[in-house]
Amino acid sequence: MNWDLSKYLALYVSESREHVDALSAGLVRLEQPDGVSQAPAGFADELFRHAHSLKGMAAAMQQDGIALLAHRAEDVLGAFRARGEVPGAEGIDLLLSVTDALGGMIQEAGAGGRPAASEELVARLGALQSSSVSTRPAPAIDEPAPPAAPEPPPGLRRIRVEVAVAEGSRAPSIRGFLVVKRLEGIGTIASSRPSGEELRAGRMPGRTLSVEVDTGEPIAEVERTLAQISELASVRVEEGGAAAAAPPPEPPLRSAPEPAAGTEPVRTVRVRAEMLDGFLDVAGELLLATSRLRELGKAMPEGLRRAHDEGVDRLQAITKDLHGRVMAARMTPLTALSDRLPRAARDLARRTGKQVEVVMTGSEIEVDRALLDEVSDPVLHLLRNAVDHGIETAAYRIAAGKRPTGRIEVSARRERDRVILEVSDDGQGMDAGALRRAAVARGAIAVEAAASLTDAEALLLCCLPGVSTSREVTDVSGRGVGMDAVRRSVESLSGTLSVESRRGEGTRFTLRLPLTVAMQPVLLVRVGSEVLAIPVSKVHGAAHARLETLERVDGTPQFVFGDGTVPVLDLGSLIGARGAPAGERRSVVVTDSESGRIGLAVDQLIGQQDAVLKPLHGPLALVPGLSAVTVLGNGRPVFVLDVHRLVAA
Amino acid sequence: MKRVLIVDDAIFMRNMIREIFAAGGFEVVGEAANGLEAVEKFHELRPDFTTMDIVMPFQSGIEATREIVKADPSAVVIMCSALGQEALVREAIEAGASDFVVKPFQPEDVLSVVKKVVGES
Repeated sequence: MNWDLSKYLALYVSESREHVDALSAGLVRLEQPDGVSQAPAGFADELFRHAHSLKGMAAAMQQDGIALLAHRAEDVLGAFRARGEVPGAEGIDLLLSVTDALGGMIQEAGAGGRPAASEELVARLGALQSSSVSTRPAPAIDEPAPPAAPEPPPGLRRIRVEVAVAEGSRAPSIRGFLVVKRLEGIGTIASSRPSGEELRAGRMPGRTLSVEVDTGEPIAEVERTLAQISELASVRVEEGGAAAAAPPPEPPLRSAPEPAAGTEPVRTVRVRAEMLDGFLDVAGELLLATSRLRELGKAMPEGLRRAHDEGVDRLQAITKDLHGRVMAARMTPLTALSDRLPRAARDLARRTGKQVEVVMTGSEIEVDRALLDEVSDPVLHLLRNAVDHGIETAAYRIAAGKRPTGRIEVSARRERDRVILEVSDDGQGMDAGALRRAAVARGAIAVEAAASLTDAEALLLCCLPGVSTSREVTDVSGRGVGMDAVRRSVESLSGTLSVESRRGEGTRFTLRLPLTVAMQPVLLVRVGSEVLAIPVSKVHGAAHARLETLERVDGTPQFVFGDGTVPVLDLGSLIGARGAPAGERRSVVVTDSESGRIGLAVDQLIGQQDAVLKPLHGPLALVPGLSAVTVLGNGRPVFVLDVHRLVAA
Repeated sequence: MKRVLIVDDAIFMRNMIREIFAAGGFEVVGEAANGLEAVEKFHELRPDFTTMDIVMPFQSGIEATREIVKADPSAVVIMCSALGQEALVREAIEAGASDFVVKPFQPEDVLSVVKKVVGES
């Protein structure tokens, strides 16, 4: 049979990753101050099982490196479990490094590689296991002198069975054990060599087994029973015999049942994420095709048009329902994100020597998978900032009359079609005044503008690139680099970011996000013969203007908008399209860019509509300034601008 | 055609085993992801034989095998074990398992064990 493992690769990788994440989350939980006492009894089993699954799946995929490392981790976890102990911080560090390494190796495997296990990690796991567990030597088994087997009871005959286990068998002693067990099923074992005890201990020298069994069955039946057992190189069954000793039948080994968890297994079907993306594409196409039909109806004579429109209405309702269901199928619980948080916080807390606990609520809330992917990094960043800059050292906290352990809360909740994510800490808080001063000093904002900001607005100044990266502000405000990236991600998802903070009491970042990113309102604009879409969430306003009448700074026209002015760039020249000739009245769309607000000069504002956004593939995905494509009712494809990257390009 | 129930907590393993049996001329009548489900499905589907992973959540393959064989002493349960699980396999045999295969396995390994135990499909 053709045995092509590659087709299982994607499933292998995704399933293995889940085990890696669960293992990592479990290890962190194990370390929480009250983690051990509160851990359910089966907790160690659970960790062990994840390592075990990783090993088994890797072995099946012939990923020997991954299997080896997972096997060693399993051994260590098994050893701790057997002793009812929990590894110390050093041990957890090592196990987490191993988990990380496994994650990396699985990724490599997914890309077609066959990574080898790090010898260093394997050695360290070995050391951890032997340091923590007194290796109990297997009890030596004395071979008793074979006493003469008593005669078979009347009515039964003694049958002698000689079995050799095949060379290729990877578990010969179990084969032997199985033979003995099957023979027990049809008679009474009078003697066995090796003994049942030895077989249990995994000893079967020479891969051969000889058993005497007292049975009422004919020889043919004994042969039939043995024929059902695999991996036996030779089987000889004959009447009579006088060979080995019969050990008394041993009590069965104590079984170790898996503890049942409190939850019922959920019946689910797993489908590839790409398939759901495909469904969404098709549902989106249907919506577009429907609006195209509606367009066509406008050209129909009145009588015909009414019936046509009714049909289209019905079609649209069904299509919308389908679209909604597909969207619902893409919803993923936030646990995929929240499971990563304690680990991230722990690593940083350990590095910075702070005490931090992370509490999560609402991780059962479901959001669109694409949104989850996008929002993970920003939330992790906010969490790291909270540990790094928000939470004070234990000594400082005690002096301030706080609990020595800082608390970071990550909560999620739904409000209609939005999901609200909050990251709050009980740390030192941010200083709005200092941020105003720093932003002014950086030239990021005018003095008057800074003064007119509310405190909540001023706190968001930490998201300005020049401000957030400045060392002084980091020290004063307690917020580090990368806040601009956080805000950009949130805004690219059509979400908003807000901050509340009180000095000495803590800070709360709030992300308000749509539940889905696949449908967004866009503003359609025309440049020359090109029609382009700009996400409405990025647009602050639009107005008509004659560029040549505008005041210029360094040759760039300045457009008066609100209280200030914004530089105007010609969208036509940005995208390489020929725009309207100079002197024409143009429209200016005011939008956000890397360097603050800008105006984009376009030939015409066409209007606003809800667009089903489809990601770009192939070379188009690499074009800076384009984020997605949508199709108009008339069937025309329209690119959606990524204004940030467009202007930076 | 002999009917098989596949029990493994990894979807990936179930897919693999399912394909092995499909190509080997067996009918895969059901799948279960843990021991509890395995026992339930066994009673519902009455397969000719069952392949059983050992380490699974909710209820282990050993417990499930014990229950299945207790309810139907003629039930054929074949354990799918990983290397290094000898003790567990012995326990499963005590519990009534008919045979075992050791992961990672080749399709031929699985099919030859099964054909020995239940006869050709």
